[in-house]
Amino acid sequence: MAQSGTRNSYRWMVAPAVIFAAAMIVYPFCYALWLSFSDVQLGSDPRFIGFGNYTRMLADGEFWNGLRLTFFLYFMALGAQLVLGTWLGLLLARSQSARGLVRTVMVSPFMLPPVVIGMMAIVILDPSFGIANWILAQVGLPPALWLSDPSTVMVTIAALDTWQWTPFVALIVMGGYLSLPHDVFEAAEMDGANGWFRFRYVTLPLLMPTLITATVLRSVDILRFFDVIYITTQGGPGNASTTLNILAYRRGFEFSELGYASAVMVTLSAIVFGSVLVFARLRKAAAW
Amino acid sequence: MKRFFGACVAALLATAVPAAAQSFDWKSQNGQTINLMFNNHPWSQAMRDLVKDFQAKTGITARVEIFNEEQYRARLQTLMQGKSADMDVFMSLTSREGAIFNRAGWYADLAPMIKNASQTAPDFNYEDFGASIRAASTFGQQVVAIPINQEGPLFYWRKDLFEKCKVAEPKFLEELATAAAALKKCDANQGVWAARGIRSITPYALAGFVYNSGGSFMTPDGKPGMEQPNTMKGLELYATMLRDYGPPGALNHTFTQITELLGQGRVAMTHESSNEFANITRFPNRANDLGVKVLPPGKDSGVSKPVAIGWTVAISANSKRQQAAWLFLQWATSREVQTKLVNNGVAPPRASVFQGEEFNAWTKEMPIRKAWADALIELGKTGTGVYQTNTDRVPEARDIIGGAMQAIYQGKSPAEAAKTADAELAKLQ
Repeated sequence: MAQSGTRNSYRWMVAPAVIFAAAMIVYPFCYALWLSFSDVQLGSDPRFIGFGNYTRMLADGEFWNGLRLTFFLYFMALGAQLVLGTWLGLLLARSQSARGLVRTVMVSPFMLPPVVIGMMAIVILDPSFGIANWILAQVGLPPALWLSDPSTVMVTIAALDTWQWTPFVALIVMGGYLSLPHDVFEAAEMDGANGWFRFRYVTLPLLMPTLITATVLRSVDILRFFDVIYITTQGGPGNASTTLNILAYRRGFEFSELGYASAVMVTLSAIVFGSVLVFARLRKAAAW
Repeated sequence: MKRFFGACVAALLATAVPAAAQSFDWKSQNGQTINLMFNNHPWSQAMRDLVKDFQAKTGITARVEIFNEEQYRARLQTLMQGKSADMDVFMSLTSREGAIFNRAGWYADLAPMIKNASQTAPDFNYEDFGASIRAASTFGQQVVAIPINQEGPLFYWRKDLFEKCKVAEPKFLEELATAAAALKKCDANQGVWAARGIRSITPYALAGFVYNSGGSFMTPDGKPGMEQPNTMKGLELYATMLRDYGPPGALNHTFTQITELLGQGRVAMTHESSNEFANITRFPNRANDLGVKVLPPGKDSGVSKPVAIGWTVAISANSKRQQAAWLFLQWATSREVQTKLVNNGVAPPRASVFQGEEFNAWTKEMPIRKAWADALIELGKTGTGVYQTNTDRVPEARDIIGGAMQAIYQGKSPAEAAKTADAELAKLQ
């Protein structure tokens, strides 16, 4: 009886936090969902139009272009960050001397605000003013247009995200590796397994839950990647970097189509949520 | 008799009190606090420093927030759509968003305040603002905003480079490409041309090319008219100048890059906002070696029709402090403040300031200032604030027009780009 009273008082204590979280997360999402089923004219209340915005979205070439670019960025940036992050993380974990200093240096990119990253990219990658083309010229390579060419803009944006967030993945991998049971590696070594075999059949399977955690964290971030793209290209040239986030922002805030923009964002939220669910299942399967 | 006299005095006093209350007083809202939200612009940058004078004059505390244009518009829309009373005064480009904001009921009507002698300073003189400038912020009988500047894109060129290369100053639009080719031939390392490339903001600079080529964004019956031959000619000239003579990466350029390129001496010509005059001439030597005028007229068409717009300040319809906000609008657009703002490169929309002694003295200090002022007078006479098709969805229409220019830059034929644009523009009507 006394225990149940204590439990009840705990519930009351956490209630404000739960209510606050619900107000800050559930309400905005439900409101966006409601807007996505509405036609919103500026200054007037939303008018319910059912699936009108969603059917319009399916027939909108810009939506499909945005979806393609969102996935292109997702796979390219995530793939690069996992490969480079794993490599860097293992390297750091094994190098005792450099770990402290290198870790500090590595942390710095993802500590920077996106606005700073965006402004740095504009300055460094500008084909006229930037240092990037000067460096290329010093090593005898032709200049690149980086963010100004439709064929290179998404690769450049993926590279920017990779530069910023690979250290984050590396730190997760390093932490995961250092917590692994080292007798397994010793046993593999005694059995004559070489470096590649040890990595492929021992390290990687043991690290898999860690890698999936990193994947979930980066998936959510990359899919909703917005600020650096908007600062550097505003979705251009043309529509070459208009991912779903940029598309929704432009439709919502530049063209005042809040209903349609909400439909795009609800769809993107579903994709993010879906990817988290998939990786959560994979993580369970990979647990050891 | 004494009682009768006393009653008369009391009656006179009683009528005198409301009469006194009706006279205008800058201190009438003493102690209030108002929130001002501005777009990043030479006017708002200057206002941030000057606002303390307003506080001293009125006793009203004014809190200023300045955002870059994209963030500004997003925040403005969020606050207004949420019917927030937090913001009292905001900047508005009425030629762009006036119709849609007015339909949404976001502007407080200033007309009754202007007419009310107890609320408006006797020397405010609303008619001092040019008729066309006033018209851009008037919908029916409703005055939605007060102009704070006048601006438009101007043609800036490096006189010294033209002289060095023995290239004549372009007198007609068609001579721009010839001059660019001659300058390039003279010095291959010298950049020649720079102009806006980001699609949503390009029509501001592009429209002069279309109009001066004899084109229009609308057909005579009000339909989208990008496929008209002269319109395509202007579009093509803008896109090919940018592609063939512009800096690499021009499609991501806005006024900040153009100002840097011209200011640093990396390009010989541009077509950029009159607002950037002060920023450009701050660079070493530019005040001496630049020329500035409206975009040259079309040779074949004989047309010179530049874009001329003006930012305004408005009071939010949701503001609970409209009287205090109106005092701010009057002060910020007064003759006295506009005269001070000239030093920040803000072109005054008041005729009395433009023709005033202080402005004249300022323009006489440097030949380029005089040229800039003359160009602004020309903008006022021949300019237009309409540079899209007939629609309330102005930002979207301008985005489509800028997209057509980008498509030509990237290799599409003008006919193909214009056809696509017309089809998209038709959906907005």
